[in-house]
Amino acid sequence: MNSKLRGILEQILLASFFFVGFLLVFEGDLQIPLFLQPIGRLHTLLLHFPIVLLLLAMFMEFFRFHDSFHKNNTYLQFTQWLILAGALSSGLTVIMGIFLAKEPGYGGGDLNWHRWLGVATYIFASLLYWIRSKEWYQSTMAKITSISMSLLLILVGHFGGNLTHGGNFVLEPLMKSQAVPLEEAVVFQNLVQPILEKKCVACHNPDKIKGELLLTDAKSIAKGGKTGPLFVAGKPELSLLIQRAHLSIDDKKHMPPIGKPQLSDDELQLLSWWVKEKASFTKKVVDLASDDSLRILSTKLLASASGPQLEEYDFQEADEKTIQKLSNEYRTIMLFAKDSPALSVNFFNKAQYKAPKLEKLKEIKEQIVTLSLAKMPVQNADLAFVKVFEHLHTLNLNFTDVTEVGLKELAGMKELMVLSLSGTKLKAAGLTSALKAIPNLKKAYVWDAGLSREDISYLQKQLRGIQVVGGFQDDGSNPLKLNPPQVKNPSTIFDEYIVAQLGHPIKGVEIRYTTDGSIPDSAKSPVFAGNLRLNQNTSIRARAFKPGWIGSDEASFDFYRGHFRPDSSVLLTPLNRVHQAAGAKTFFDGRLGSFNANSPAWANNWAGVRNNDLVLVSMFKQAIPLSSVELRIMVETQTGIFPPELVEVWGASVENQWKLLSKFKPVIPKENFPHTLPLIGTKFKASTVKYIKIVVKPLEKIPGWHPAKDKRALFLVDEMFFN
Amino acid sequence: MLEKEILEHGLSFNRRRFLSTMSLGLGSVALGSLLVPSLLNGGDQDGADFTPGIPHFAPKAKRVIYLFQNGAPSQLETFDYKPKLCDMMGLDLPASVRGSQRLTGMTANQATFPLAPSFTNFKQYGQSGAWISDIMPYTSKIVDDICIIRSMYTEAINHDPALTFFQTGSQQGNRPSMGSWLSYGLGNENKNLPDFTVLLSRGIGNGQGVYSKLWSNGFLDSIHQGVQFSKGEDPVLYLRDPEGMDRKERREMLDHLAELNDLSYQEFGDPEISAKVKQYEMAYRMQTAVPEVMDLSKESDDIIKLYGPDCLVPGTFAANCLLARKLSENGVRFVQLYHQGWDQHGNLPFEIQSQAKDTDQASAALITDLKQRGLLDETLVIWGGEFGRTCYSQGKLTIDNYGRDHHPRCFSIWMAGGGIKPGMVYGETDELGYNVQKNPVHVHDFQATVLNQLGLDHEKLVYKHMGRRFRLTDVSGKVVRDIIS
Repeated sequence: MNSKLRGILEQILLASFFFVGFLLVFEGDLQIPLFLQPIGRLHTLLLHFPIVLLLLAMFMEFFRFHDSFHKNNTYLQFTQWLILAGALSSGLTVIMGIFLAKEPGYGGGDLNWHRWLGVATYIFASLLYWIRSKEWYQSTMAKITSISMSLLLILVGHFGGNLTHGGNFVLEPLMKSQAVPLEEAVVFQNLVQPILEKKCVACHNPDKIKGELLLTDAKSIAKGGKTGPLFVAGKPELSLLIQRAHLSIDDKKHMPPIGKPQLSDDELQLLSWWVKEKASFTKKVVDLASDDSLRILSTKLLASASGPQLEEYDFQEADEKTIQKLSNEYRTIMLFAKDSPALSVNFFNKAQYKAPKLEKLKEIKEQIVTLSLAKMPVQNADLAFVKVFEHLHTLNLNFTDVTEVGLKELAGMKELMVLSLSGTKLKAAGLTSALKAIPNLKKAYVWDAGLSREDISYLQKQLRGIQVVGGFQDDGSNPLKLNPPQVKNPSTIFDEYIVAQLGHPIKGVEIRYTTDGSIPDSAKSPVFAGNLRLNQNTSIRARAFKPGWIGSDEASFDFYRGHFRPDSSVLLTPLNRVHQAAGAKTFFDGRLGSFNANSPAWANNWAGVRNNDLVLVSMFKQAIPLSSVELRIMVETQTGIFPPELVEVWGASVENQWKLLSKFKPVIPKENFPHTLPLIGTKFKASTVKYIKIVVKPLEKIPGWHPAKDKRALFLVDEMFFN
Repeated sequence: MLEKEILEHGLSFNRRRFLSTMSLGLGSVALGSLLVPSLLNGGDQDGADFTPGIPHFAPKAKRVIYLFQNGAPSQLETFDYKPKLCDMMGLDLPASVRGSQRLTGMTANQATFPLAPSFTNFKQYGQSGAWISDIMPYTSKIVDDICIIRSMYTEAINHDPALTFFQTGSQQGNRPSMGSWLSYGLGNENKNLPDFTVLLSRGIGNGQGVYSKLWSNGFLDSIHQGVQFSKGEDPVLYLRDPEGMDRKERREMLDHLAELNDLSYQEFGDPEISAKVKQYEMAYRMQTAVPEVMDLSKESDDIIKLYGPDCLVPGTFAANCLLARKLSENGVRFVQLYHQGWDQHGNLPFEIQSQAKDTDQASAALITDLKQRGLLDETLVIWGGEFGRTCYSQGKLTIDNYGRDHHPRCFSIWMAGGGIKPGMVYGETDELGYNVQKNPVHVHDFQATVLNQLGLDHEKLVYKHMGRRFRLTDVSGKVVRDIIS
């Protein structure tokens, strides 16, 4: 049985010789049919079998003539079987490899080496299978063949690996590129190319030109591949390079293909910004504007490539007791992190600050890495103390009294990277040299520091490698609209008269107003001067104006006269459960409600009824001459809040001898009536009363145009005025 | 026959052999475990590894300003552009997309779920090309400073539990708020102000409540509680000396009171007593620090124009943003803003425009302002609500009016500064904006990320209470490394 099988396999091996030979000879003319392509791709899977089988066989072959195995037949037979299997599988692998090499994108020196060494392995293994049983094949021979076979396998594997993963795949992590100083970094050479090399070149190199695209040098990149040019300068959304990377990962055209290392978000972002910046091959990072996103990202990526972050410090920890001794309520000293010796120091409360406080910190001068002196009265001279903090990397001098003259003290601080100078008084000329003298400065904040726009762009030009942040300066090109004036009176309900107080939060604003219902304008309407005295219901409409701003929307303020305030009031009917407000007191508490009555109603001063009348009785200790009654109500038809059907005013000078003084039916609004808070009321001949009864009947049937037609409407009132 | 073999095998397999074989096995496991450091180390269970006030590792951010948009702004009208909804307007949401998502009582009985496109247009902005809607003109100018996360999701579907979940890591409440955890974890920066302050404002949109439980210290020491600063003359209630008492008298009173409290502490040993003494002292120092911080009269014209004129009207979102910057600048660890009114179940186009108008300029201004002071690098700013809104209309859908119901499966927030990647858009939802399709971020992931930026390991920031160890992220949460620069 065994020998029969072996016979068959030997036959196949022999046959494969011819097949391979044929293929190699006619390789140039081979046409691989579509159905065989998957078989070709199995090459990368199958190649592991010959490697393992043959390496094991060679290991055994090496010791074959050792005393313990020499006479062992099983050992001999097993090795023989291994070599046979290895030779057969290597034959199959070679065939598949030849198929695979026909696919587009494979070529070049590595492929040639891989191919011929692969074939050599196959032939060598087959030969070995036959010669190892010969007489002359002895110990030395076995050792030489097994070693050379193993070397052959390693070499084939190496070149094959180069084809799939790209050269240097193995050693790449060790060969970290030399850090490039920011000033010299070129966007393409130091940022774009490394990404391509890492993620794309494995398939787009001279050895394996997939899609006829080479990504190894600028010229080929500019040329593009089979599908066309790689990018349209300035238009990442139209660029093949970016489009392909953005396709869904399952998409056949997605790049890098599924299973290969993908572009990280940062890398993709960088590529697309690079294309957006016209895909220049020569532009330096420092040529980009300091707030340019590409520059910011580049700076970051370069920084992360240039070794350890600033979090690692090699100085000693400060003594805990010293830290405690130096900390107080106005000077916080914080440990950066649990296992870090670095300290950060912040000062608070201007009144407590004195310059020698800085000097005291010299005990921890080595450990301080961030220092905030913002808003402290720090003088130029004090910066001499700052200089002793040799490891300082962030210094905040916002709103201090330092100037560019004092900053010269910081010259040569090697680790200082971030300097905040916002809110100081600086001059561009001196500042340039002061900042240049700080060798590793990366960011300078100079907002609100007396520098003009031109100063800041001059600074940025002079200080390459430093990001100069100028911040927001209004240039008047985009004026904003003022917010409307506000009323300052605590209540707009008055007894006899009131002096209206209007105001505006912004200084220098002019308020113009009208009291006749017309819209105020910036030319003709009177300017509010603070002496507007009102003695009757008045609606003031007002707008705010200021040069450099767009005039405000109008605001209207209703002032209500309620001359007589009852000494006590009582409700004879219940209010709606959710519209209780302050009960009978609601109507005279001087508090006005606003829209949004439903959230939350009980806190919004609106008393309401729906299913019964509202009956309120008010009493006065002294009789009053009543000639008018007004109710401030809400109309919000959309939510079913309507004016009442009928209001009756009853008066009495003696208890329970009621006399109807007046009654009226308010107008029921039409469809699309705006939401309002109107005053409804009645005037009548003056009548002397001690008791007033107000009866309000809510609208019984909501009009037909409303979705809730024929239902009872809600009636809401927040205040009543008796005059 | 077989039995004999087994017996022999058993006999030949003695203890010595067993142990030596075992040692090889153990040795190889030990070797392997060197490559997986967390394998054999069950994590720091008791927080013994942690000293309150000292971060676990070097922080990127020192402070947080959280602009909470209470009521849940619609992602579909702000940051998550879904042109497909325009083509499918009015069509029913396919049941396959909805899956098993539970609905609120407000739309559960709706016969159809008509897909509603955004009434407003979107454009791409900045180098990052992020899509921002037209109702956010100022935010669109700062897209290269912020990181928009479009793939947030949560577990709750109603406001209160969702809000409580975001703030405390639990839907039920009674747990410490995020700000309290940070106060506990990082300690004071400025000893004259509380570590954790809260500012409230509301727009005209449908409002949902915010309650003081959201800034509660839970089981942590009460010095970690959030302090609400209100508008009006007394931003911090009861901080002023009563009439007729001057500062010297106050000092003497406090000294005597401290002596009495000390006696009582000796007797009972209740830590709340010393917490109280600390609070009195803090309040005494706050008496001078707070008026200075709250004074907006010295802000320059540029600042007023940057934040918009409302920033001088107390109680507005703009004023609170400006205050938030001032508090943060003065070392307050966590400034929590809530802006109410984003709950657009109906009348969405009108209300959301008004909400956006209230918040857009000031939110963007805060970023610009922090940046120009060099503070954005060390301050983490967060903008977002408690969940998202449905891609279909609640109630009637017309060409210019509709509403959207609560939607926990996806929503958008943004983060900026504090070591978060600027100019990034993270995560994706499906083309109808119903499910997250790529890079989902759970609320606990978000919380873990916030803690991480402040130098805290969310798995190590634990507090043992009533026999259980508690974390802000409960038992889950993964730092979203992709958005960290």
